[in-house]
Amino acid sequence: MRVTQGMMNSQLLRDYNNSLEKMYKLDEQMATGKRINEPSDDPTGASLSLRYRSDLEANAQYQRNVDSATSWLNYTDTAISETNDVLQKAREIAVQGASDTNSPESRKALAAEVDQLYEQLVDIGNSQFNGKYIFNGQKTDQPPYDYQNAASTTPDQGEIELEITQGTKVPINTSGAGVFGDPSDTDNAFKVLEDLKNALNNDDTQGIEDSLANLDSRLDKIMQEWADVGGRANRVDLTDNRLKNEELNLNNLLSENEDADMAKLSVELSEAEAVYEASLSVGADILQPSLVDFLK
Amino acid sequence: MGSTFHGIETAKRGLYAQQTAMNTSGHNTANASTKGYSRQVVDFTPTPAIESTGLNTSTYSGQLGTGVDTSIERVRDPYLDSQYRNQSKDYGDWTVREGTLSKIEDIYNEPSETSLNKVMDDFWNAWQDLANQPDSLSSREALAEKTLAMTDAFNDTDRKLEDLYNDLDETITLKVDEINNLTQQIAELNEEISKTEALGKDNANDLRDQRDLLTDDLSRLVNIDVTENKNGYTIKMGETELVSGNQVTTVLDANALPENDIASGELHGYLVSRDEYVQGYRDQLDAMVQGLAEGEFELTIPAGTVLPDGTTLTQTDGTQTTYTGTITDRTVTSDTTVKVNGLNGLHQLGYTLQEPATAGTEFFTTKDGSSTFTAGNITLNPDIKNDSRNIATSTKTYMDGATEKVLSGNNELATWMASVRDKEVIFDSTSSGSSTIAEGTFDEYYESLIGGLGVKAQDAERQVDNQEVLLQSADSNRQSVIGVSLDEEMAMLIEFQHAYNASSRMLTTLDETLDKLINGTGVVGR
Repeated sequence: MRVTQGMMNSQLLRDYNNSLEKMYKLDEQMATGKRINEPSDDPTGASLSLRYRSDLEANAQYQRNVDSATSWLNYTDTAISETNDVLQKAREIAVQGASDTNSPESRKALAAEVDQLYEQLVDIGNSQFNGKYIFNGQKTDQPPYDYQNAASTTPDQGEIELEITQGTKVPINTSGAGVFGDPSDTDNAFKVLEDLKNALNNDDTQGIEDSLANLDSRLDKIMQEWADVGGRANRVDLTDNRLKNEELNLNNLLSENEDADMAKLSVELSEAEAVYEASLSVGADILQPSLVDFLK
Repeated sequence: MGSTFHGIETAKRGLYAQQTAMNTSGHNTANASTKGYSRQVVDFTPTPAIESTGLNTSTYSGQLGTGVDTSIERVRDPYLDSQYRNQSKDYGDWTVREGTLSKIEDIYNEPSETSLNKVMDDFWNAWQDLANQPDSLSSREALAEKTLAMTDAFNDTDRKLEDLYNDLDETITLKVDEINNLTQQIAELNEEISKTEALGKDNANDLRDQRDLLTDDLSRLVNIDVTENKNGYTIKMGETELVSGNQVTTVLDANALPENDIASGELHGYLVSRDEYVQGYRDQLDAMVQGLAEGEFELTIPAGTVLPDGTTLTQTDGTQTTYTGTITDRTVTSDTTVKVNGLNGLHQLGYTLQEPATAGTEFFTTKDGSSTFTAGNITLNPDIKNDSRNIATSTKTYMDGATEKVLSGNNELATWMASVRDKEVIFDSTSSGSSTIAEGTFDEYYESLIGGLGVKAQDAERQVDNQEVLLQSADSNRQSVIGVSLDEEMAMLIEFQHAYNASSRMLTTLDETLDKLINGTGVVGR
């Protein structure tokens, strides 16, 4: 093949350009630390990256949902624990009041104490979490109980559900009807306290005995509700662990998918630099001489 | 019988010929780096011998030569030209396409932390946050803001694609002008060349080089077929004849291009870029936005849901039920799977925070009032933007005296809205084929869109690389024939110089010989 100076020139220029282009790509990967900077760098990888990122965002959101659910459930747990304390206290009073050694006056004093407990119980029934009434189902903007009619009130029983993983919803609230009882229940917590107060005031030992029985039955039911809330909190907690594991996995996958291998990259880069330098020095040798240089 | 002075004429011809050769070498060296220049060689031919058969045949034997004649020719191979032009058009085509796809990739800016994908994730998450606190005004404001961020991102992406479309449109006009300009110049050169060569002796070498250079340029712009006849080049683009002799037979009009005849070259690249790539990706984004606002998906509405007055549900088997009247009349009695038309349709199945209970309105509206959603016109309903209580989250109401009120703690609609992210949505209800996938989730849709773009761009990059190699090889092959080699020219220059010197010496010898004959003979008896 006949070779001319022009051909050598353009061949060298092309080679330089190829070397430079390769270094540019490697530089870009070095600077961003990413193997995929544009979809065309690896179309499948780019799609996967989008998927992992979306999954990570969704995962972070589910973790936030889990946090909301946990704090709501913990708050409910505290409220039920307080309810339990109040009713245990009422039970102690009932036991004390049932004893024959009590005078009508001392029973009246106990009745006043029960009245205090009643008001405390109504306050617990109206507990608010973040400005929302937790025992009034979905009517979170209204207090379920008032001091006069607490015993005859039916709170809303709507469940509030949060999505803690895709497609899995967990109810985070507990209806007041479950904890304190329906108006029709003989062991409605408010009614029992009212009855106990009346029985103490009226020196009615039989009434006190009946209230004691009702208190025990209510305390049993509260235990069940309490266990239920605890169970849900447990479930949410497990989900939280799973979400955190998943987050770790997704981060690993994302990093494996799009992060550049720095060690490999720097080796490739110095290789490319060496090639470039070599072609430059070859170029300097080739381009200079022609026959003109050797004619006298 | 030769003349006495025959040798002087022969030597003179030699001097002229070698001088021409040296001048041509000079011309070659001077043009060693001129684009499109093909080296020229001097063709030496002996002039006819003085003795030829006929009456004047002398008695001497042998044919006495009379010297040399020259003609100057360029070294060129039309086959290599056509090879080069074939590769050049495809290289032009793919370079333009690759450039456009790379710009579209830049516009989508994936994968990154600041892209459409990210604002869509934020949007869905904002619905989840609202579901956690359906009556919180700050969550509502946050959702409204995230929604606007998303619609702005759609608007912005669409605007950038539209700008790119307009740029391509203008470039096509410029390229068409360039083509018309080139064909005009080629037609003019056709005429000049045929005039110059009319006498049959001279070769219009440099004009031909110019014409070939212009034809090379034209071949990068559009697919051409070049044939040569006595009137010069006839150039055809597919079935359309562009140049014939000194006439431009077709002046291209950017608004009425014979698109069937345009099969390759930069012009083809720009047309594909504009009509297939940019328009295609705008359509795909529009289909996604339309799917978001109104795309059909299936949803199971649980028993106990109170539907807003006048709601019509379409079940999956097509049965339609309209709910009107009291809360009881409007309560869904058993779990029902229905078809819902996008987030807009879903938003209207629940209630806002307003009192008395008010049904949700369309969540998205169009900026231009059009009934079809596009990436360019989608925005958050201004009513919601102005008052975030107009976001519907609840699916239950109750009577408070004579007033129907919303159960504000109910978050069911908000969770449904958030769950649309994972629903199979129908994007292409009219089977137009302009959406990326006909049915799927939003994430799937967007991933396919970006994946598809990546595959196209990657393919274009590969094509450009391939075409570059092919074009370079065609160019090298051609340069190998037409390129000026300085070594060669120098070597020949020395050859010509020696020949010139020798011819001069020949003249001197003849001079001395004649001097002897004229001045040194006939002196006997002086």
